[in-house]
Amino acid sequence: MKKLMPFLFLGLALLGLCMILTACNDGESSVGPQTGTGGSMARFAITGNTLYIVSKQSLEVYDITKGEAPVRTVRKEMNVGIETIFPYKNNLFIGANDGMYIYNNANPVSPVLLTKYTHIQSCDPVVVQDKYAYVTLRSGVACRRGNTLSSLDVIDVSVPSNPTLVHSQVMASPYGLGVSGNKLFVCEGSNGLRVMDISDPALPVDKYNFSDVPAYDVIVRPNHLIVTGEKGLYQYKFGNSNEYELLSKIPVL
Amino acid sequence: MKNSFRLLSLVLICLACVEPNDNAPNGVPFDGTGYKPIYATADEAAKVQVAAAQPLVQPGKIYLFDPYIFVNETGKGIHIIDNKDPKNPQNLSFISITGNYDIAVKGNWLYADNLSNLLVFEISDPLSPKLVKTINDAISVNNFPPYQNVYFECADSKKGVVAGWEKVPMTTQPKCFR
Repeated sequence: MKKLMPFLFLGLALLGLCMILTACNDGESSVGPQTGTGGSMARFAITGNTLYIVSKQSLEVYDITKGEAPVRTVRKEMNVGIETIFPYKNNLFIGANDGMYIYNNANPVSPVLLTKYTHIQSCDPVVVQDKYAYVTLRSGVACRRGNTLSSLDVIDVSVPSNPTLVHSQVMASPYGLGVSGNKLFVCEGSNGLRVMDISDPALPVDKYNFSDVPAYDVIVRPNHLIVTGEKGLYQYKFGNSNEYELLSKIPVL
Repeated sequence: MKNSFRLLSLVLICLACVEPNDNAPNGVPFDGTGYKPIYATADEAAKVQVAAAQPLVQPGKIYLFDPYIFVNETGKGIHIIDNKDPKNPQNLSFISITGNYDIAVKGNWLYADNLSNLLVFEISDPLSPKLVKTINDAISVNNFPPYQNVYFECADSKKGVVAGWEKVPMTTQPKCFR
């Protein structure tokens, strides 16, 4: 305990400092107050004092209590084709070419594999809100073999050790996705950004498509949308209606 | 499981660089193009430079750390954007990093990949991020292009570090495939 005291003190001091100096993040994400938010395409994720990195076939876990000196605590070997990581509450959702791994990270520096939800081969970022995980499966040369279609799958993860597919629908060319409240945003590459209504979270319904905004990665905050794609960085303000106000655009030159 | 085995064996085949397979593995015929490694010397690959703001060219992943947005320039580095006013975001600076795709931030520390290395930057002044730590070989990177069903020239570690891949016309079918 004695050994831990300085860290505890430092942690509290940093937390306090952060609260004073910045408005901090008041988002609804699961991350701590001084950590940022990545999109669903990320291979890096931070929760609390832990940095997670998924590389080609492993999950690397770093303790970053001392921010400038990450210390690797564990490495979890996985199958090949690991793509993305999305932390949500006490779990890590890892998208791979052949499925979705769910790790419990109640002990952040040593995640425990709960289950692997297997699907046919594809590229598949994942986001989670409440009971459901939303996974896009992209076909194409770089991803899914053969002539199968791209899709958006909704998976009930209320029991993380036993994920169940509840819905699947065809997509054009999905990349990253983001979720906030009753809205699900799906980047469809050069086909634009698709907005879906998830008032029934198990059944996304098409609402709107920004066909002129090529989209690769997206971050959704309450009423605020940040999108990147081949034309640049776009930001939108939105409310409960389906009106989107373009705040700004940093174009690709 | 079957797919995993197939993929695994394909990877092994690629890594081992076996004899060319005339039977078009996986049924994909050679179309006269393939991926060629872009080599860099270890020094070039490790070179990190903080520069003035650069225009976005091929924006990749984004990372939000209010009031900043970090935008990855695919394989090239990180744009730092001041987003205090989302109606008027300011492109502040650019960190040039070979083989960079990912970003994460906690407090004053920014973590980024540089090929197989993990870098830590101190970003209390986002106009001049400072590299404070490099952890070598932290991230295992693929020795093949980030695509499937493609032919590629086998990477040769004697020629340097693979900093990227380019699609080029090839007269003969390269030995590697994935």
